[in-house]
Amino acid sequence: MSQKIKDESSPVLIHIVLIAFTLMTIYPLLWVFTIAFSGKQSLAISLLPEDPTTLDRVRAVLPFPETVSLKNFIDVVTEQNFLIWMGNSAIVALLTTILGVFLSCTAAYAFSRFKFPGQRAGLMSFLVSQMFPGTLMMVPLYIIVVQWLNLGNTYWGLILVYATIAIPFCVWMLKGYFDTIPIEIEESAIMDGASRTVIFFRIILPLAKPAISVTALFSFMAGWNEFIIASLLMEEEKMYTAPVGLKFFVGEHATQWGSFAAGSIIVSVPVVLLFMYTQKYLVSGLTAGSVKG
Amino acid sequence: MHISHNIIRVTLGLFVGGLISAFLGYWFAEGALREKVAETRMRQGTIRAMALADLVHAEQSRTEKDKQTPGALIQFWQQRHQDIDAVRVMRLSGARLLASSFSDDLENGTPPRRLKRSEKAIYDMGQLLRANVDTNREEGNPREPEVMGGELANGRLRVAVPWFTAKSPDKAAGFVQLEISPTIQTKDPAFQPVLVLALVPALLFFFGSLILGRVVKLEHPESVVWSSMTTAVLLLIFGLLGFGNYYLIDLGQENVRFQQELAELYTATRTSAEEGAAEFNLDYQIGFSNDWDVNEFRQPLRFISFDGELYIGVGTAQDSVANRLGMAFFACSLLAVALLVFFGLGGAARLWRTIVDYREAYVYTLPAMIGMLVLVFFPFSYGIALSFTDQTLYNTEKPLLDIWAGLSNYIEIIGDFNLIQTTEAGWSFNYENFYWTLFITVAWTVVNVTIGVSVGLVLALLLNNKNLKFKAVYRGLLILPWAVPSYVTALIWKGMFNREFGPINHTLGILGLEPIAWFDSVFTSFLTGITVNGWLSFPFMMVICLGGLQSISADMYEAARLDGANRWQQFRYITLPSLKPTLIPAIILSVVWTFNMFNVIYLVSGGQPGGSNEILITKAYKLAFQDYRYGYSAAYSTVIFMILLIYGVFQTKVSRAMESNS
Repeated sequence: MSQKIKDESSPVLIHIVLIAFTLMTIYPLLWVFTIAFSGKQSLAISLLPEDPTTLDRVRAVLPFPETVSLKNFIDVVTEQNFLIWMGNSAIVALLTTILGVFLSCTAAYAFSRFKFPGQRAGLMSFLVSQMFPGTLMMVPLYIIVVQWLNLGNTYWGLILVYATIAIPFCVWMLKGYFDTIPIEIEESAIMDGASRTVIFFRIILPLAKPAISVTALFSFMAGWNEFIIASLLMEEEKMYTAPVGLKFFVGEHATQWGSFAAGSIIVSVPVVLLFMYTQKYLVSGLTAGSVKG
Repeated sequence: MHISHNIIRVTLGLFVGGLISAFLGYWFAEGALREKVAETRMRQGTIRAMALADLVHAEQSRTEKDKQTPGALIQFWQQRHQDIDAVRVMRLSGARLLASSFSDDLENGTPPRRLKRSEKAIYDMGQLLRANVDTNREEGNPREPEVMGGELANGRLRVAVPWFTAKSPDKAAGFVQLEISPTIQTKDPAFQPVLVLALVPALLFFFGSLILGRVVKLEHPESVVWSSMTTAVLLLIFGLLGFGNYYLIDLGQENVRFQQELAELYTATRTSAEEGAAEFNLDYQIGFSNDWDVNEFRQPLRFISFDGELYIGVGTAQDSVANRLGMAFFACSLLAVALLVFFGLGGAARLWRTIVDYREAYVYTLPAMIGMLVLVFFPFSYGIALSFTDQTLYNTEKPLLDIWAGLSNYIEIIGDFNLIQTTEAGWSFNYENFYWTLFITVAWTVVNVTIGVSVGLVLALLLNNKNLKFKAVYRGLLILPWAVPSYVTALIWKGMFNREFGPINHTLGILGLEPIAWFDSVFTSFLTGITVNGWLSFPFMMVICLGGLQSISADMYEAARLDGANRWQQFRYITLPSLKPTLIPAIILSVVWTFNMFNVIYLVSGGQPGGSNEILITKAYKLAFQDYRYGYSAAYSTVIFMILLIYGVFQTKVSRAMESNS
């Protein structure tokens, strides 16, 4: 009992450490908000005078704009193709999610529930594929997707690539989770005359909701956030995804930090919301397999 | 009547092997023929265009007073050659369209006239041709096309060639462009040999063994298998030889026909050029050499003599299309034999049985596996193959075998030990060297993973307290770096480290320190990368650790406390060991991810200063997409993969050994 009291002896200290860490974590994000709402294209929160005092310097660090304005947001949405790019990203990410979840769930179920020749090799090959350097794949991917499959500048080209690239990690994660679902449930269902398909869709998938949510989240993020392959496969400006478009603002010759910040916020909001929504599943979905298996 | 399994297997093998290689072979043969036709059609267009360019040259080089626009000339040319649909002659000086029968051009005004702004593409093409001619002449090694064009969607062809004036015979004065409907046609190759190859050996073998089986009774089943296999292989080889020869001969004959047609065309063009020169009073003599039948670098293809006679021998000897087709057939044959052996010796039967027995599992894995094969494993293998070539931007058209470089890329990467370079000012590290980059990459990975794991673990320990208030708020905020797209955060941090305006230097100013040019020295630049990546990667580790911590039962701590263990001992002997099964795979993954973490380095520091902070993966990217050395970059990437693979095997071995010890 004395230990129990000792556990709670320093909540203040814990809070101080946590608050300090949290502030450091979110400061860059607050800074982006500041620039986005400043209405200017500059990087600086406030310009330092010739001979700055400490107060001036503190002002330049405080994440709050001198003047609040929505100009950057309006500019980004109206002046550029930004809304089209967002639309492209949304289509690509949503279809990637659907396809990615389908591919990963079916494969993970087989790897978890069946014993078959090639099972170990298949799983190992998935693991090893995580080590493939992206740079090695890009030239061949371009040849396959654009020249052979003729899917350059199309949504499907990107969707197929993203959904496939996400498979290995998702399969490993899902397999770990499926392994923790007791096999007796299925056996009794088989006794009742249910087919594999019914078991898979009616029993396993609902039980694996946390892991599937996390799979969906990762597939969505893979489609929403990627920009290298997207810039490789999408050559027409109308077909850019949001990340490719965003790089325009702070590329080698442009420094429209205000537009970039506003654009970043617009791009990040959907995925952050999704992340927060899925958060409750994140811990169990990610680690259930490795803990119990 | 009893037919042995062996006969069925071998017959099936013959059938499948024959069929697949026949279809592949047909596909190759058709492709080769199509390639040949395209090449020949291009030559047809080129001959017509080059001859006209010569006339334009003569016409434009005349003295000033009786100079006229080549409008009449192109009209004449088009009348004489029914295959020409439209002609355009442009001059770069003054951006003038001298003559044209393209309907688009006529809509914009009758030539001769100045090019309009909307016709910039025409002017650009002239500039490009001139630049290409200059480049090739200066380098003495042609690599930029001087004859431009290709097939249009409607089967017509566009060809543009430069023309020159007598005053400056080296500098392209403009270009002549034709749109023509090529007269050279071809048929699809015959399909019958495919069926013959697919069916005849199998049928021969099947009925042959039935008849022989009645006559001869062999004692040993072993020898039956081997003798039937040998017979089958021989049959298949005969079939393949006939098949391959048929198409190769076919291609050869078509080729000869093409050359003959071209030669006739050449003679006709020559006649009309002479007539044209006479009609327009041009000072033009057709030389005693073939100037018109040229390749894309305007170098004469020596198949046709100046008077249109054909050098067949030269044509066939240089025929790379036929060579390649022959090689493709050889590969097909190997495949067919391999399939036959696989079927004949029972491998296929066993495979089939396995698939049937475990069909449920395979059906479930099939969609993912197909995707992985096509879009992950195949590109990977292709990339490895690329690493043995010296492919660059300039030879992507060539087949990989033509630019095979063996191990030279690897030797150049791994065998280069010039780690230190000495200059007049002293010595410095050679940042371009592979081992420097490897050192930076390893340091980068070790530091990052250490930071990620320790920060993540500490935060997870702090958060894993049932009585902690605002736990969800902390967790939600701390997880944010993971949720925000990493290219966004990378660029944000680039702004944070900005020398003049970045908040980090302002904060240093508050503390009374001088601002730092973060990307100007090796160490501070490395620090920026570590900061950004640490910030990006600790949430993942935190979540993993939280998951691990939650699964540890409270009873264990209770028991430990009863035994008098202090907090450190509890952490050391309960928490850490229980976290191990969760942490080890996460650490392996995170090492691999960090090793290949492209975004942070590429977007934040860009490897500054002087490429010293480049990690292997960003270096490979730059080699491919800034230096366009695809082959070399692929070798670089393969080395990265090998390093990671060795790490993975080693790590698994170590953790297994640790498990068996404890």
